[in-house]
Amino acid sequence: MAIKFEQVNFEYPSFDGTNFSALKDINLEIAEKGEFITLIGETGSGKSTLVQHMNALIRPTTGSVTIYGIKIEKDTKKKGKVKLNPLRQRVGLVFQFPEYQLFEETVLKDIIFGPKNFGVKESVAIERAKQVIKHVGLDEEYLKRSPFNLSGGEKKRVSIAGILAMEPDILVLDEPTSGLDPKGRDDLLKLFMGIHNDLNKTVIIITHDMNTVYKYASRVLVMNEGHLVYDGLPQELFSKENIKSWNLDIPDIITITRQLEDKLDVNFDSQPHTIQELFELVKEVI
Amino acid sequence: MKNIIIGQYLPGTSFLYKMDPRSKIIALMILMISTFILKDVTHILIMLGVVLLILKIGGIPIVRIARGLKPIMILLLFTFTFQIIFIKTGNLIFDTELTLTVFTLPLMIFIILFWYLTRRYIKFKFLYLLITAFGILTMLSLYTPGSVLSSSTLEVYGDGLSGAFFIMVRLIIIVTLSTILTLTTKPTDLNLGLEKILKPLSIIRINAEEIAMIISIALRYIPTLLDEANKIMLAQASRGVDFTEGKFKDKVMQIISLLVPMFIISFKRSDDLANAMEARSFVPGKRRTRLHTLSWHNLDTTVIVFCIFIFISAITVRVMF
Amino acid sequence: MNIIEIKDLSFSYQDEVDALSNVTLSVKKGEWVSVLGHNGSGKSTLSKLIIGLLKADSGEIKVDGVILNEESVHDIRRKIGIVFQNPDNQFVGVTVEDDIAFGMENLCFEQSDIVDKIKEYAEKVSMSEYLKKEPHALSGGQKQRVAIAGILAMKTDIIIFDEATSMLDPKGRESIMNYIKEINKAGVTVITITHDMKEAVLSDRIIILKEGRVIACGDTNDILNDKETLNSSNLELLLPLKLQYLLDEANLSNDKVKDILWQLSLNK
Repeated sequence: MAIKFEQVNFEYPSFDGTNFSALKDINLEIAEKGEFITLIGETGSGKSTLVQHMNALIRPTTGSVTIYGIKIEKDTKKKGKVKLNPLRQRVGLVFQFPEYQLFEETVLKDIIFGPKNFGVKESVAIERAKQVIKHVGLDEEYLKRSPFNLSGGEKKRVSIAGILAMEPDILVLDEPTSGLDPKGRDDLLKLFMGIHNDLNKTVIIITHDMNTVYKYASRVLVMNEGHLVYDGLPQELFSKENIKSWNLDIPDIITITRQLEDKLDVNFDSQPHTIQELFELVKEVI
Repeated sequence: MKNIIIGQYLPGTSFLYKMDPRSKIIALMILMISTFILKDVTHILIMLGVVLLILKIGGIPIVRIARGLKPIMILLLFTFTFQIIFIKTGNLIFDTELTLTVFTLPLMIFIILFWYLTRRYIKFKFLYLLITAFGILTMLSLYTPGSVLSSSTLEVYGDGLSGAFFIMVRLIIIVTLSTILTLTTKPTDLNLGLEKILKPLSIIRINAEEIAMIISIALRYIPTLLDEANKIMLAQASRGVDFTEGKFKDKVMQIISLLVPMFIISFKRSDDLANAMEARSFVPGKRRTRLHTLSWHNLDTTVIVFCIFIFISAITVRVMF
Repeated sequence: MNIIEIKDLSFSYQDEVDALSNVTLSVKKGEWVSVLGHNGSGKSTLSKLIIGLLKADSGEIKVDGVILNEESVHDIRRKIGIVFQNPDNQFVGVTVEDDIAFGMENLCFEQSDIVDKIKEYAEKVSMSEYLKKEPHALSGGQKQRVAIAGILAMKTDIIIFDEATSMLDPKGRESIMNYIKEINKAGVTVITITHDMKEAVLSDRIIILKEGRVIACGDTNDILNDKETLNSSNLELLLPLKLQYLLDEANLSNDKVKDILWQLSLNK
């Protein structure tokens, strides 16, 4: 098991003494390879706080997170014996806004910044940069450009390249597709599927888009008011009764299928995942 | 969400909270000037009494004031020492020979080193410093084995002692007064009060309203910026930046990796904000009405009259005695 | 009557390709128009031009019969309100009530009037309990609602929503869309700028922008039937529409299915 949460609680301290409890009794296990996980839940439900525990950026108030065999608890002090950097190299976390991390003059320098911090030689890091820039669907020519003159979608790709160049085993992305148009979103999701399939890495994505969840995820985690309320298959999630109380949408394809079943008074044999599949089913009944 | 409070506003209901921020600022200034007029220890002690009375009636816990005094402790200590050492008038109260020997020199260095290494674990840091300093002085004056390296006399004179005491009390009064203002006035009210008081400065082309608008936007965005700085630090920490350690060269890089994103985001933000303000018909320098207006009550007049009374008394005692 | 008329409008940012070229369109009083386009299609540039935050290279913008120029820009801004994309970057006030007041203060409303209107419009967007709250205690959707209240209080004839929902979660998005519906029903002309066809179908009319040009403009129903234009627009087609197209291609027609899919497309 790559990451294991045991009874994790987390509170944000506040000046007036009333601490805000962001995570409540989280138990969770994440495998090193082969998972494509989406993490969903409304704003403020604790999604970002949860993923920041995964590479020890923050430590639980009570309970423990074990990352690659190293136990992180409240008093696991930064200056103690535990070195956190090796963990951060293995669990790569991409923040929501690329503006939070891009700072170098050129895309190349920005991409090799991470690897160099983890002790990778510059020449090796540059080789990696040339590889990952292609991986995120940009031309090698981009390496010479300034990261600040890129479009929103390109910045996002560069920020992901910067994390990929660290060669993490698990890639965690906080709302990677927010603010992008549908085409930009689909391109990025295909990219993540590519990383997941070709490099056999576990990918965890925070998203609000239920179509993404239904189409791509092999496992879905739902957060609600600090609790992990669902951990399982996306298909089962959307047939659950309490999905509305978690303020989640229903994927479009399911809505259409249900409407058709309801109004045409039929029952399709299977639950379609793509519009093509639905088309085949509809063809049968008319 | 995290709760970030700017300033040190302490909610309350006493008369200090009912006052208009303008009268509070003016009263504060009158009392400060009065304090500076006084030149005698007895008078300044009476003034301290008045300030303590204000605290008592205003219902402000002394602990909060002490917390406000903390940052200036070192300054207080420095002026106190300075006064005692350099003022050599009045009657001699106390004198002692301070002797540095081959034996006490390393001992002194050892004590200082010990203090330096242990101070972070001690709760009352300031008291610890005082005790250490006092310990060294006692050792130098009483314990003199070995051959003498150098020696000097420490003399404390009456005027030095009273002067040191006087300056300390005066500093405490000034800090207490300004702490009362910030504890009982919200930053936004303070801003509004300052704007109104500075309004006459438009004669010399200083636009108080614009300054107030800048301060108010700063107040609005400081929590956002702090939150953002925190997120940037986490994002860079994810890329292996350890903000807690590193050599000087690494430190420079760490700071750049934090500052550049901060600046870029802030530029974008100020651009957006300027657009949003303009779109809502904001024109710099044009007359605006205001949601918040200040109202002057009898309480304010009473307090100001009281402060003027103190001011006149201060002038009187200064001239008469 | 057209409240906005735009003729041959062109604009380019410094030494770059045209962000907008020869855009001509009009908006009728009281209607709800969507400007739909992919990222970089020039749709946000258009909104900034309409309220005079950017100056066009050529062409003309008329608002309520008045041509936009340096003299008229302030009068025109009194008629148009705009809710921007980023909830945090348009919140001017230190508290909710301060932010709602900001526009009214600029327009020199009487102080007592400002106080009344804050109450009235905070109520309209269900933010009455939050008047004294500071922005960092609010969600993105709540901040956008405050922005809406501030603009409603200014009594503008037109409100532009410039991707106002794109940074919100589904719940926030839904609530903002509901307020937009209400505002339009109350007689305010609404322009929503979006890349989301699901949002666009709620409006009366759709204008599609692609690479700075208007490629389609018409009633929502007509636009949804215009398969060729939609396919060439770089936009994501609505799933029910996609299914309908598939059925059409296979020459399978069933009126009942068609009707169900149509209703779903219109998001009803």
